[in-house]
Amino acid sequence: MPSRSLNRRAVLRSLAGTSLLLPGILSQLLAAEDGTPRSEDPLKPKGPHFPAKAKRVIFLFSSGGVSHMDTFDYKPKLFQADGKSLGIGGGLSLDRRPLLRPRWEFHPGGSCGTLVSDLFPYIRQCMDDICLIHSMTTDNNEHFEATLAVHTGSFFFTRPSLGAWLSYGLGTLNQNLPSFIVIAPYLPFAGAQVWANDFLPTEYQGTHVTPGKHPIPNVTRQASAPDLQERELGLANLFNRSHLKRNGHDQELAARIKTFETAFRMQFEAPEAFDISREKDETLLLYGIQRGDTASFGWQCLIARRLAERGVRFIELIDSGANNNWDSHADMAEHAKLAKRIDQPIAGLLKDLKRRGLLDDTLVVWTSEFGRTPGIDGPKGRGHHPHVYSSWLAGGGVKGGIVYGESDEIGARVGRNRVHLHDFHATILHLLGLDHERLTYHHAGRDFRLTDVYGEVVRGILA
Amino acid sequence: MAFDWVRNWLAISVFAVFATNVWPADKPVLAAPVASETAGVELFEKRIRPLFIQHCYSCHSSEAKKLRGHLLLDTGAGLRKGGDSGPAIVPGNPDESLLIEAVRYTRKDLQMPPKAKLSAMEIADLETWVRMGAPVPRTDAGSLAKAMDRTRAREFWSFRPIQKYPIPSVKDVTWPVNEIDRFVLHRLEEKGLTPVEPADKRSLIRRATYDLIGLPPTPEEIDTFLADDSPDAFARIVDRLLASPHYGERWGRHWLDVVRYADTAGDNSDYPIPQMYKYRNWVLQSIAQDKPYDQFVREQVAGDLMGGADDRERRERIIATGYLANARRFGSLPDPRYPWHLTIEDTIDNLGRTFLGLTINCCRCHDHKFDPLTNEDYYALYGFFQSTRYPWAGIELYKAQQDLVPLEFTDRAMASAREHRQKLAALAAKLAQLDADKEAADKALLATEKLVDEAQRATRVAETVKRLEQIGKAISAAEKERDNFAKKPLPYEAAYAVSEEGMDGKKRVGNACIQIKGDPQRLGKEVPRRFPEVLGGMRLPDGTKDSGRLELARWLTDPANPLTARVMVNRIWHYHFGKGLVLTPSNFGKQGKPPTHPELLDYLARRFIDSAWSLKAMHRLMMLSRTYQLSSRDDAANARLDATNDYLWQFRRHRLEAECLRDTLLAASGTLDRSMAGPHPFPDPQKWDFTEHNVFKAVYETNRRSVYLMTQRVYRHPFLGLFDGAATNTSTDRRIVSTTPLQALYLMNDPFIHAQARAFATRLLDHRPNDAARIRWAYLLLFGRPPNGDEESAAQGYLAQVRQKIQADSVPAEHQALSAWQSLARALFMCSELVYVN
Repeated sequence: MPSRSLNRRAVLRSLAGTSLLLPGILSQLLAAEDGTPRSEDPLKPKGPHFPAKAKRVIFLFSSGGVSHMDTFDYKPKLFQADGKSLGIGGGLSLDRRPLLRPRWEFHPGGSCGTLVSDLFPYIRQCMDDICLIHSMTTDNNEHFEATLAVHTGSFFFTRPSLGAWLSYGLGTLNQNLPSFIVIAPYLPFAGAQVWANDFLPTEYQGTHVTPGKHPIPNVTRQASAPDLQERELGLANLFNRSHLKRNGHDQELAARIKTFETAFRMQFEAPEAFDISREKDETLLLYGIQRGDTASFGWQCLIARRLAERGVRFIELIDSGANNNWDSHADMAEHAKLAKRIDQPIAGLLKDLKRRGLLDDTLVVWTSEFGRTPGIDGPKGRGHHPHVYSSWLAGGGVKGGIVYGESDEIGARVGRNRVHLHDFHATILHLLGLDHERLTYHHAGRDFRLTDVYGEVVRGILA
Repeated sequence: MAFDWVRNWLAISVFAVFATNVWPADKPVLAAPVASETAGVELFEKRIRPLFIQHCYSCHSSEAKKLRGHLLLDTGAGLRKGGDSGPAIVPGNPDESLLIEAVRYTRKDLQMPPKAKLSAMEIADLETWVRMGAPVPRTDAGSLAKAMDRTRAREFWSFRPIQKYPIPSVKDVTWPVNEIDRFVLHRLEEKGLTPVEPADKRSLIRRATYDLIGLPPTPEEIDTFLADDSPDAFARIVDRLLASPHYGERWGRHWLDVVRYADTAGDNSDYPIPQMYKYRNWVLQSIAQDKPYDQFVREQVAGDLMGGADDRERRERIIATGYLANARRFGSLPDPRYPWHLTIEDTIDNLGRTFLGLTINCCRCHDHKFDPLTNEDYYALYGFFQSTRYPWAGIELYKAQQDLVPLEFTDRAMASAREHRQKLAALAAKLAQLDADKEAADKALLATEKLVDEAQRATRVAETVKRLEQIGKAISAAEKERDNFAKKPLPYEAAYAVSEEGMDGKKRVGNACIQIKGDPQRLGKEVPRRFPEVLGGMRLPDGTKDSGRLELARWLTDPANPLTARVMVNRIWHYHFGKGLVLTPSNFGKQGKPPTHPELLDYLARRFIDSAWSLKAMHRLMMLSRTYQLSSRDDAANARLDATNDYLWQFRRHRLEAECLRDTLLAASGTLDRSMAGPHPFPDPQKWDFTEHNVFKAVYETNRRSVYLMTQRVYRHPFLGLFDGAATNTSTDRRIVSTTPLQALYLMNDPFIHAQARAFATRLLDHRPNDAARIRWAYLLLFGRPPNGDEESAAQGYLAQVRQKIQADSVPAEHQALSAWQSLARALFMCSELVYVN
């Protein structure tokens, strides 16, 4: 057992010795240390429906709509665009517009030789670990709806997020950190609904962390009263449990009590998880970050690895937000700085996970909410394009070094092996050992699932 | 989500029967029940029509460039007749329908759409629809590619005139107190539900006080209520609360949620708007005065055109148009490159949602996919706002405010405003000339490419480049000159509001042209300014000389408008009861939810109009009902039938909103500053230099009520963000309730909590003689009740333990009591009872 844990155990023991009013919290903490979580804990680890390789997910979301034909989907015909031949274009993929030539050359990567554009030279090196899907499709051409759907399977209504479903299905591996953490510098389209638990119990809601010096606010105890805190929590806990009992065991109230317990433990665990000062220079270099950095996407990726190591079930990294993102309507050149920001960090994350043996049981997913049009929108830009786009998966349970599905010759429609967003979700759940048709929650008179009444597991990409 | 629309149309079909065409089938088909015809048409609207448009019409419609296989899928007749291969559809029988066979890709020679197979769900939808008899709506034009039938659309519940329903009968005649109760009880009895008992008096006064003023009742107020046994004791509480200035702060905040109020502009640098608070205060005061809602709406939409009985009224009405002025700004560009069409879209979006419960902005590029609103309706409204001059907030490439509206009407102020405007116009003209020069020079540079003589070309290029440099410098200087002038404080008071006069003092009003597919560069035909057709399509009188917003405001608030009153009474209901009768308060269209109690909704809407659009009359009506005064106790038998309490058999327990939580802590600790706030301490406008990379971002601490916290569009206030405050980019009709460890950490460790705990402890120690009295007072202040015996001894025991611990830590004796009490205060602040209202 790592010494960190032993130290913390000693700390907990000493707290127990000085605190008379906290039998509840501390006994649970100690029980957790002993590997025996409380029986009523909704986040306790649960068995999957069937054995699976992946135990956790790192979900990389590029906000705004990444152009597939400028990144991962090589379309030779588009390179011949002469400004006369037309294809789907315009802001919302509704018009016929002159085709736009991709700005970046493509080159093969890895021994599989999959073509990737010069926007992602680092990720290109990792193609042997990546399963690239060229035939993704979704149902809405607006950011808000498509972003909501990528996360919840629902285009218009708030529904539980993928991370919430996984936390519900599998529980957490670490009682001292939230099971679902979202690191996002800005609010994405559709805001906090992207990590909402909706009708699932509140424990499954994503915890939003903002990059910076103090990623989780208020995680440091106030100097004036650190050693009184357990007593205060103990008294509040006593009153809150009595209040819960008086109020019909309201689920929301029970969840609130639980948040104090998690919060208490986060004070010990979280600062350490978010502190990269003890990472080696060589590791920082791999992610392309400077010592002292607390805000770059590289930092987000390195933290994702640290959280993965600590048993967080679902870690999502969002690279931008509702503004200043990949939504290059006017000029595709804008893609360059966004790609540069994430390319080396993502490749670094994949390599780091691999050499530590974590990639075997970690599923890494990269996607955007949709692709972009083959035809122009603004003079040099592309519009929103839900009909076909590219996403990729790597790690636990997927075939590396393959390309699944095809778009048509200009990247306008699915050519072969369509993978609808619902299929994508079904496959992710499958890789974690969950049957998307059996992972249900009864609410308002019926069973709900992430994939509603749709979704088929994409067998062709399973290892 | 399929189940949502299934639930929707099932609910709708109960009280809206649509006229539908079910085709005469080639083969006998069992007559489908009405509900399934309706369902079939709904399915067609939601799933089939979009699918046809997306996948089929490019080859199989009257608008196809080249019709394939002589098959028209855009008319009912065409579908039935079929094409070269025979009838496309056999209603009721998917397996015999060619269309289904084609999309299933089972035959080699007939696979549609040819490029890629439809998804399994799309195929399943088509099969379901054919199985239902393949019904399509009756259309005038005959083309299914067009939007849905208007006449039929007006049959949708929210577009029908407000009805007068009889007050329903109930079995238990002793239960209802007023009409609301009869509507509610009628449905409860129908569903086999039994309302729970009334709430106890302590719960009731706490509930009502938070509800109306967003603060806890004081111990004295509670005692007075408990001692008052008269039948109208609660009515007096309601009246007292409605008369409080804090009522305006609480209900004004609800309005600010809906109109997505923010103190910044939302462009890429999020420029501050120092004058925006005037509008905020206008909202708070108007609500507090119970300004009739129709007038409240009119002033926000057209206050600048309404004049006023005196300067004060005129001034107030100009400030009210801050509602329009507050529309979001985008990007970084100055005029004429600024994307006004987006700001106008934001205006129309909010106007639609706020007043009408409609998502009109969906029609910017195309007819509404679900509601009977057209692309023309959108541009008919667009004309009103294109004819309106929005104030300039400052932006990355023009960092000063401009076009503020004077609030002083003296000759001197007016002359000064005119002079200011003329000077700015001159500076802008100078800039425009330089821009034109630059453009000409750019062209000249391009032209040099055609020169054959190398030497001549080199000389010309050098000359032109030099000229461009000179122009560039001149532009920088001219921009600086303009910015410096524009940044100077105005010699008169002004509002961030709208008007109609351009820089030359002239109005630029007129109709808008359709922007094809939402592209402002591609203009289609002109559309006269008017109200949406489905709501009457009223037009401006001939010879209208201004934007016409005053007429627009009148149409919005016309008692015959079926939406405005319904939407507002539903909002009021939503805030009182935790959920609206329509669960989607800003969406009364097909994507929203139909009302759980349609007759009650119409009763309230009518009553609202009849009581001169008085919010306070509505509060009294709702709060004095027995329904409002029910206990929040759970009941297993009821919950089995109605788990989500849609039929109101109990009062919904709810968590305090972010503002109420903060205000409660300030009030309990005696540190709340109850005065109304003025402007925020923004940086001096003369020093503004915000850009995309140097975005304006600030948090200003205040002990005033939370409604006065500075709220930004781009960055949320950290506290308000953490506790689910309103979104500031889009309209918030319902607050989300999340419960997270980060909120717990805030209550455990944030300096604000520790400061309030200290103030609270000090207050208790200073004003009560002993711990027993202090514990009692603390409970009354925070929870509205005294502690029971167990709680008191737990608190006493706790204080004793902590004192012991503190003594062991050798805290000086004079600090021990305060430290112990602070600790107890923090524990109480973490109690669920503080943040939940029963």
